[in-house]
Amino acid sequence: MKQREPPKLPCKIETEQDKLSNLPAHVIDQILSQLPIKDAVRTSILSRKWRYKWATIPHLVFDNLCVSVSSQDQILVRNKLVNVVDHVLLLHTGPIFKFKLSHQDLLGVTDIDRWILHISRSSIKEFVLEIWKGQRYKVPSSLFCCRELIHLELFNCLLKPPTTFKGFRNLKSLDLQHITLAQNVFENLISSCPMLERLTLMNFDGFSHLNIDAPNLQFFDIGGVFDDVSFENTFNLALVSIGLYVNVKKDQTLILGSSSKLLRFFVHLPHIRRLEIQSYFLKYLAIGNVPGRLPRPCADLNYLSVRINFNDPKESLAALCLLRSCPNLQELEMLARPEETCTGTLTDFWIGDHWSSMFPQLRVVKIAGISGIRSELDFINFLLSNSPVLERVTVKPVSVDGGWDLMKELLRFRRASTRAEIIYSDP
Amino acid sequence: MSELNMAVIKPEMMKSYIWIETADGSLQQVEQEVAMFCPFICHEVIQKGMGSSKNHAISLPQRVNPAMLSLMLDYCRFHQVPGHSNKERKSFDEKFIRMDTKRLCELTSAADSLQLKPLVDLTSRALARIIEGKTPEEIREIFHLPDDLTEVFGACANYLLRNFFIFYDCNIDSVVQEEKLEPLKNITDDPRIRLLNRLYAKKRKELKERERIKNVEAEEERVDDRSVDDLLSFINGEDSKGIKTSKNKKKNRRKKDQQKNTSPSEVIEINEQESNGLKGSDLGETSEKQDVTDEMFASKPEFDDGDVDDEIDPALKEKIDREVEDFARRLNSDWPERMQEILSLGQDMKALHHSSNGNGTIRKYTDPEQK
Repeated sequence: MKQREPPKLPCKIETEQDKLSNLPAHVIDQILSQLPIKDAVRTSILSRKWRYKWATIPHLVFDNLCVSVSSQDQILVRNKLVNVVDHVLLLHTGPIFKFKLSHQDLLGVTDIDRWILHISRSSIKEFVLEIWKGQRYKVPSSLFCCRELIHLELFNCLLKPPTTFKGFRNLKSLDLQHITLAQNVFENLISSCPMLERLTLMNFDGFSHLNIDAPNLQFFDIGGVFDDVSFENTFNLALVSIGLYVNVKKDQTLILGSSSKLLRFFVHLPHIRRLEIQSYFLKYLAIGNVPGRLPRPCADLNYLSVRINFNDPKESLAALCLLRSCPNLQELEMLARPEETCTGTLTDFWIGDHWSSMFPQLRVVKIAGISGIRSELDFINFLLSNSPVLERVTVKPVSVDGGWDLMKELLRFRRASTRAEIIYSDP
Repeated sequence: MSELNMAVIKPEMMKSYIWIETADGSLQQVEQEVAMFCPFICHEVIQKGMGSSKNHAISLPQRVNPAMLSLMLDYCRFHQVPGHSNKERKSFDEKFIRMDTKRLCELTSAADSLQLKPLVDLTSRALARIIEGKTPEEIREIFHLPDDLTEVFGACANYLLRNFFIFYDCNIDSVVQEEKLEPLKNITDDPRIRLLNRLYAKKRKELKERERIKNVEAEEERVDDRSVDDLLSFINGEDSKGIKTSKNKKKNRRKKDQQKNTSPSEVIEINEQESNGLKGSDLGETSEKQDVTDEMFASKPEFDDGDVDDEIDPALKEKIDREVEDFARRLNSDWPERMQEILSLGQDMKALHHSSNGNGTIRKYTDPEQK
């Protein structure tokens, strides 16, 4: 150990060289917020000035990196995690604007309740909670008191707000995955968050009618099982991605003369720019009397992606209606749905030239998952003959079988665009 | 510019310039559209009408020296052009922040004082990347931070301090290795350093005695002493090595009870850590207030510092090194279990513990008989 001299004034050269410690507190907060929480807390032993600099960072992220234990013992890791979070929260001072808790061994319900209570007193703006395993975690009522919330993200949770809950008046982004909530809770939640701009819902249960009343909504991404979806006042909605994970019930499709779901869907989406119709959603849209084209074209739609069974006449009708209603479409993606049973073949649907020059802006097309059946080939032909500015078509079959035959057919097709490239992509 | 160039310049390309003065007094002219990218300058020009002439130059805050101003203007010059793609901007940024850390800090400071947020974001991200994953020693070296924790608190206390405030495994091995049991010069009569020296002295004495005597009597002697130091030595004594129980849950509760009643001076000794491994990682109970730390080594019984200058031969020194490592490990052990051992070993010890405190919880262990 070196000789200890009496404590004297810090060496002047050293303080001149140390440019970091004297940066303004909010800048240091910004720097430390970008470190993993572990590194941020460890700065407390750098020097005297640094003992508490970490304690004011406004972003706290507790994820798999924050506890490094070589032990595989889950209980040990969990205890350590609980200790770490408790200590950080206790030693922390100042507002907490962002809090994320996402650790694979996290299970202690009372611990999380306690932390959320603490956080709720702190004008939290962004809250992310991911419960990786176990049952749905019932979110405590203190979360619903966070009036300043702007972004809320929950994974594997159950939401049951108190009756006094009046909504998150500042909430702009809501991301709920693997969650349970009741129908009325869902509706209340959406309608009581007037600033909502982004909504993501994946794998939800407890409600099946999606009535989205959100005047500021711009981005909507859902995937799950539902009976019904409709929009209200969503004139700003620009990006929509919907996946219906189960096939629609048979009786629904057979009802003739019922109102078209397709029509109803697009009524309140005048400015839609990107649309993704995934899984079985096209089947849902095909319910009812599918019109030839939409009464008002989707003039802003420039990207469309559709999962379709080319053999199904109703789905093809719905797809055709859509394609006719977006004159400014630039990018199209058609994905064939792998059906277990072949419900008959559809022939001659896409043949005919009464749809000429339907795609004046279409430049890029991607077709994937096809097996080379007649209707699929007809469709590709149809596309090629009606897209004067087409630049690139990528075709990707589902398997190598029949690949050669497919290519032979593709070669024959006439192309309206002299610049069109057809790229065969290996499965 | 050559005369030819000047002749070709169209009127719209004539840029307007504004005057800027840095804290050192030097004046310069800067293209207005570039400088206006900085909110501070923008505000000065628009709200206060400054910068139009030499006499009304915009004076920049002190943190902006001419070199930093020049860097920032380069940044603004590139980014204020709307034509660049995101990729181009990113690539420019990556190249731009390649500079030594000192300049990076200065640039951060300057950008912050001119409220140029995108540049602050960029530089702070770069600084975070530098800090990430490094040991404290490395960070201190890179940023020239003074290592004054050790100076102020003493090396051993530094070790304990580190475990107060951080509960992540840090590289405390390096700290523990440093402990060589040499006495510290205690010119300011710092009580903490006094304790440390006493600890070392005790340790050395003990090891020497063990060498010579090697019997249980020595331990009993130690047990009879009533100071905290000896308690520590006892903990480090041979026969209590390896005695651990694993009543984790109970331990928690008892610790919590204890915490309420022990004084700050005890807390440092009972610095419990709930890990089964060597490295301390969490704390069952610690208080983090600064005054607690300062009281840590308050008013201990005076000991003779006469044996401070003992000579130690190398073999013993090694032993002492190992003992200190053990010391560190001992701090991870369970206090209540230790107390049980201590209690069971001497009746007179019991009398001391059941103090006037009515609720019977374990109280501060000081010896009223000593001063």
